Amino acid sequence: MHLTLEFGGGLELLCQSTKIHSVDVKPKPGEDKLAMRDLLVWVKSNLIKERPEMFMKGDSVRPGVLVLINDCDWELCGSLDTELEEKDNVVFISTLHGG
Amino acid sequence: MEEGGATAKPRRATGRLCSTCNQRKAALKRPKTLEQICRECFYSVFEDEIHNVIMDNNLFKPGERVAVAASGGKDSTVLAYVMSELNRRHNYGLDLFLLSVDEGITGYRDDSLETVKRNEIEYGLPLKVVSYKDLYGWTMDEIVKTIGLKNNCTFCGVFRRQALDRGAALMKADKLVTGHNADDIAETVLLNILRGDIARLSRCTFITTGEDGPIPRCKPFKYTYEKEIVMYAYFKKLDYFSTECIYSPNAYRGFAREFIKDLERMRPRAILDIIRSGENFRTATSTKMPEQGTCERCGYISSQKLCKACLLLEGLNRGLPKLGIGRARGTNGLNKRVEQRNLRPERTGSSIESKQCGTLDF
Amino acid sequence: MASCGGRGGECHQSRCQRSEEDGGAEEEMRERVASLSVACDLPTSSATGDGALDRCTKCGETVAAAAPRAINGLCAACFRAYLFGKFKLAVTANAMISPTDNVLVAFSGDPASRVALQFVHEMQRLSLKNWDASKSQALPVFGVGVAFIDESAISICPLHETNKVIAQIRSIVSTLSPAHKELHIAPLENICSMSSTDGRIRLNELLDSVTDATGKEDFMKYLRMLTLQKIALDNGYSKLLLGSCTSTIACHVISATVKGQGYSLPGDVQYVDARWEVPVVLPLRDCTAEELSKLCHLDGLELLQLVKRPSNSINSLVSSFVARLRDENPSRERTIVRTAEKLRPFCFNKFVENTYHEFVPSRLRCKFQNINNSETALSEVLCPLCGSPLSEPEVQSLRNIQEKTPTLVENFTAHCCQSCSFQILPMGAESLQQFYTVLPQSVTVRVTGGTSDHSQLRELIGDCLLVDDDDDDDDDDDDDGT
Repeated sequence: MHLTLEFGGGLELLCQSTKIHSVDVKPKPGEDKLAMRDLLVWVKSNLIKERPEMFMKGDSVRPGVLVLINDCDWELCGSLDTELEEKDNVVFISTLHGG
Repeated sequence: MEEGGATAKPRRATGRLCSTCNQRKAALKRPKTLEQICRECFYSVFEDEIHNVIMDNNLFKPGERVAVAASGGKDSTVLAYVMSELNRRHNYGLDLFLLSVDEGITGYRDDSLETVKRNEIEYGLPLKVVSYKDLYGWTMDEIVKTIGLKNNCTFCGVFRRQALDRGAALMKADKLVTGHNADDIAETVLLNILRGDIARLSRCTFITTGEDGPIPRCKPFKYTYEKEIVMYAYFKKLDYFSTECIYSPNAYRGFAREFIKDLERMRPRAILDIIRSGENFRTATSTKMPEQGTCERCGYISSQKLCKACLLLEGLNRGLPKLGIGRARGTNGLNKRVEQRNLRPERTGSSIESKQCGTLDF
Repeated sequence: MASCGGRGGECHQSRCQRSEEDGGAEEEMRERVASLSVACDLPTSSATGDGALDRCTKCGETVAAAAPRAINGLCAACFRAYLFGKFKLAVTANAMISPTDNVLVAFSGDPASRVALQFVHEMQRLSLKNWDASKSQALPVFGVGVAFIDESAISICPLHETNKVIAQIRSIVSTLSPAHKELHIAPLENICSMSSTDGRIRLNELLDSVTDATGKEDFMKYLRMLTLQKIALDNGYSKLLLGSCTSTIACHVISATVKGQGYSLPGDVQYVDARWEVPVVLPLRDCTAEELSKLCHLDGLELLQLVKRPSNSINSLVSSFVARLRDENPSRERTIVRTAEKLRPFCFNKFVENTYHEFVPSRLRCKFQNINNSETALSEVLCPLCGSPLSEPEVQSLRNIQEKTPTLVENFTAHCCQSCSFQILPMGAESLQQFYTVLPQSVTVRVTGGTSDHSQLRELIGDCLLVDDDDDDDDDDDDDGT
């Protein structure tokens, strides 16, 4: 599944200061759908190069990290359970950096 | 309400509608009210709420010259944008300008100042930059070279607070507005409880402080959630700078901040509840506020003979950078109690609090 | 008087330290000094030199190498004396227990309540000894009872476990002699109905209607308090003693702040809380949970292992936050409590205003205290769902609603504090009505307590007005004001 992932608000520092990543992510074996829950795990192991605890806490994003799926607050579309679709645009923004 | 296990619904199929206009697709869930709201309605409710805070608290008078503390970060960028917008829309009649402090940190502040300079043009607000070098004769780079990375945040914090006041005075400002948001204030309430600082606890929720001083400071974002500020900046594509300070890269990793964020996830209104607690604390009337005098060297407001900045500077200039740091007693005829109070961020360590840097003492 | 006399010097000293108001910078250091000075004032006679290698930092006695090292380098005996000293200081300095008192100890089986029970017993034993020795034997020795709340109606704990625990409590209490201690085991559902099955149904219905996890926990805590109050009232106790310690109070300070209860917070963190029918005292306020567990371990005090429901509430988030702070700095809990201590308490946080009553015969003093309590409790409007005094804006909105001749339910909800309105009261008129009907009477009558000006309510709950009238009568001989 092709996705565009964007990191902002300082999170890009965790992935070598690259803000926009164009990626292909496969659903877990035996499943035909990719949920946000799985995407987070994928991002953590494939894109985050340092301090992964700044990105995730438990099985979700660290509180204070905002997530938008196609410019819509993920809290409106099911948070971790949101199923991703082809060409979705997912944005992660940290609110924890600077003021 | 604690978050329920919302089940995933085909989102694009239904496309939840904005609870305000009932026409457009909702774009975010407001932490304050849990409403789902579209972008346009969000912009107007966000701005209206800040306008109401400004009006309800009589923050400004027409004709005042107001400095907007601008660091290039998210809060101050949105503050500058919204202030200029509201001033125009509601005819506040304010003479607004951006005030930035250049600490002299290569690779950090010079980059963020570029952001502020772009804001100057975009929002049509004049910019004044005051530098540590001009005010104190030292840049942070030079200070760190002298003292190392141990107490650098103390210097930076003390110098910045004064720098903004001095810059505002230099520019003949009547007021200074800062971008402290509801999350910041809630965190400060908690930190003051953790430190037993009752004097600050009673003051930290004031929307305006220093009214008896030369330049009162106020916080129009007192009730504004950090989440909404960041969402606003994102949707409006406001240009802000979010790199961490190179001298204190982990300064934002505080227990208290993390706790607030965990709390917000569990019960978003908790942030406002903490502020309400802070406003309603029955602080004893006998609580002594430190007496305010002026520094005999620079004239800055100070409860001691020398203000903290002058004391630190004296140490730097005499090659005794430890002067005024730590729990030294009796030196310089200074009251140790005040010394300790000023240094508390150092002493309690970075582990409980966030943002010693880049934020203003209040 | 033997039980609570003397040691004036100590209390005086500690008061001075407390009243010194300034920024918190020196808090931690001062705390250290304060606890040292208390420790130094303690008699060292109880130290038993077990005769071996290590040295206790206080008594200098050598400690048996095999004996477990206690906290702060104290030997077990000095550590115990140090904690008992803090307990006794709290009791005497705040006139918590007078010779005529009948004290009900709330026992949950955790280390804090276990130590509370042990120390009260100790104190009673010492008093009895003194009483036996005294010639006149004019002053009686206070009585002690123990209360345990059986929560099996709502707990996940299987019945045989509960029975085992209850047998364990009986055995613990029976070992605490001389002086027989009555044990009261009350099921939580008694607060809803005296009939067990009906009570269980109503209690569960009541708790099910509270959807917020935190609200449910807090409401249960309140029902527990009401149950304890009921046991105390029904059995003639004059004080209710809880094992709240520095650590639990520190957590409460943070959670109350987080729930927006900053106004009412200082009422909850004092040694004395006389807003209840039977005044509540917290003599372990100055001991941390760590110290109390340590003591249980040292003295082999038996604890109860009750199965706890996993919690997903603000309260548990706060406890893990405070635990983290404690790991980073062991004195943090004390500092948090000290901050709250500097806030202005309510008038119900004191028994008497001046020491004059110390010289009044104790039987009379008890009466003075009670008068004072009823008088002060009436000056605050208390939330009927948590007992918090309402803040000014809350009282104002209550007044506004009362002007519009509200219904019984509307009047009740208007009396609830903002925090309870959010986390406990159900949404929607129908659910509210239902919630109100299942509420225990001891909750619903509370809305009359704070105000005396709604005649409509008086008519509707005639029975309960007797309580009110009693208070009114007492006003005449209330000469000790505040």
